[in-house]
Amino acid sequence: MIKSIKLYGDQAILINFEQKIDPAINAAVIALKNAIEAATISGITFMIPAYCSLTIGYNPAVIEYEILVKVIKQIAANALDTNDSNPNQQKVRQLKIPVCYELPYALDLKELSETKNLPTEEIISIHTSQTYKVYMLGFMPGFVFMGKIVSKLECNRKVTPRLRVPASSVGIAGFQTGIYPTASPGGWQILGRTPLKIFNPQKENPFLFQAGDEVTFYSITTDEFIKIEKEDNQ
Amino acid sequence: MTIFHFQKAGLQTTIQDKGRIGYQSYGVPVSGVMDKKAAALANELVENTPETPVLEITLLGPTIKIMGDCQIAITGADLSPKVNQQPILLYKTIQLKDGDTLSFGAVKNGCRAYLAIRGNWQIKKWLDSYSALPYSGDAAMPDSLIQKGTTLQVETIPAIAIKNIPKDAQPNFRKRVRIRVLPGPEFEEFSPYTIAYFFSRGYQLTNDSNRMGYRLDATLIDFKPKREVISSGIMPGTIQITSAGQPVILMMDAQTVGGYYRIANVVSADLDKLAQLKPGDEVWFSLVRLEELVD
Repeated sequence: MIKSIKLYGDQAILINFEQKIDPAINAAVIALKNAIEAATISGITFMIPAYCSLTIGYNPAVIEYEILVKVIKQIAANALDTNDSNPNQQKVRQLKIPVCYELPYALDLKELSETKNLPTEEIISIHTSQTYKVYMLGFMPGFVFMGKIVSKLECNRKVTPRLRVPASSVGIAGFQTGIYPTASPGGWQILGRTPLKIFNPQKENPFLFQAGDEVTFYSITTDEFIKIEKEDNQ
Repeated sequence: MTIFHFQKAGLQTTIQDKGRIGYQSYGVPVSGVMDKKAAALANELVENTPETPVLEITLLGPTIKIMGDCQIAITGADLSPKVNQQPILLYKTIQLKDGDTLSFGAVKNGCRAYLAIRGNWQIKKWLDSYSALPYSGDAAMPDSLIQKGTTLQVETIPAIAIKNIPKDAQPNFRKRVRIRVLPGPEFEEFSPYTIAYFFSRGYQLTNDSNRMGYRLDATLIDFKPKREVISSGIMPGTIQITSAGQPVILMMDAQTVGGYYRIANVVSADLDKLAQLKPGDEVWFSLVRLEELVD
């Protein structure tokens, strides 16, 4: 599955998988990242799992490039063995996320319903009927990129991005769905909002999601939103 | 306890340390001081540990009223620092007294100055770092983004003998620098003409260059992206080429993933040199191999 391993600057390597956005390829990226983490190789400074690549930072004073590549190749040979009996297959976290698809949270739902010629109920039903995979976090701390949404819902980013998308807004763009961790400028089409804080710097683990999670959404009313938001803040 | 009261914030004044390495998988940028060497020298001059944060001051410095006695040192760019309107030296331990005002003036050279304060900084750490967070900064690191009216408290510790770094050992910042780079992940996908052009000229930093990235004033010739790059890890020093053909050098506050062609990567040891360039200054690139980097 690995297409290439190459030097990336003087303190990192880049492992490219088949360059495609695909759940199985992304699962392999995450499996390799988890296996490398479990192996606790001294000298590795960071890892950035993405759709179909894994960037690994290293300290050349601790481990040399050639040695690191050799070690990673060995780990990959085990970790990427997709045999069901492979003990390296990690348990995937399943997260159920409440989303209120009502106003004032569903900023673009009505407009999207008109341009797509789909009733809002159907958009909600499609969005809540899929299980999404967290491909990666990026763009800003805690932003979650998930996919794929069914092609019927695929849409472009907004022509004029919003200057301020509220925190915890759930949106779609292209074939992806995502959640804004904090209020920020952004161009995704906003379908609703979750009452959960997906990024809370005050907590010991500030991030609700991690790459590799499986996520489903369920629809809640405004009253339920307010109730859950209160509980989540306690 | 000494209190630093910021009467003026300056253009961009932030608290920085080594940054947050290891949280990129959550989308957290690395951050940290742009000029590592200058920041380390500032802490050495006041005998702080290397982990102590510093203030990174960009071009237009702040005005700070100081309540309490303390020792400071300023390194990096020469932004004409003054105490009570009297010029002070860079690269030297400076004794400040209760009631002093520290201010800055004209930019004489470089872009970023580092202010070290001897003692224990009373600020919050997040994910193992004191560095300001470029996005959602107010949520996580409100104290590290200096604004007008910000107060910073430092628990003072016994003073040390004045130290200085001799003139010939101080870095010399130039307006035109040559930076070593290694081939980037998509290097081979550029045409030979684009590659030749990339290395054949210097680039000025445009005005929208900052801690996230330096945008260069050029459009590469013969650059027709054949495919979309699927978002992949990026880091300080990565040189991306936008779809319009503009080179961008990613700096310490860069995002963690990006979807542009990556032509090259700056050799880590040369990042400090880049840190002291300001808009209008010029950068040239030299291609090197990993084996050549033995310093």
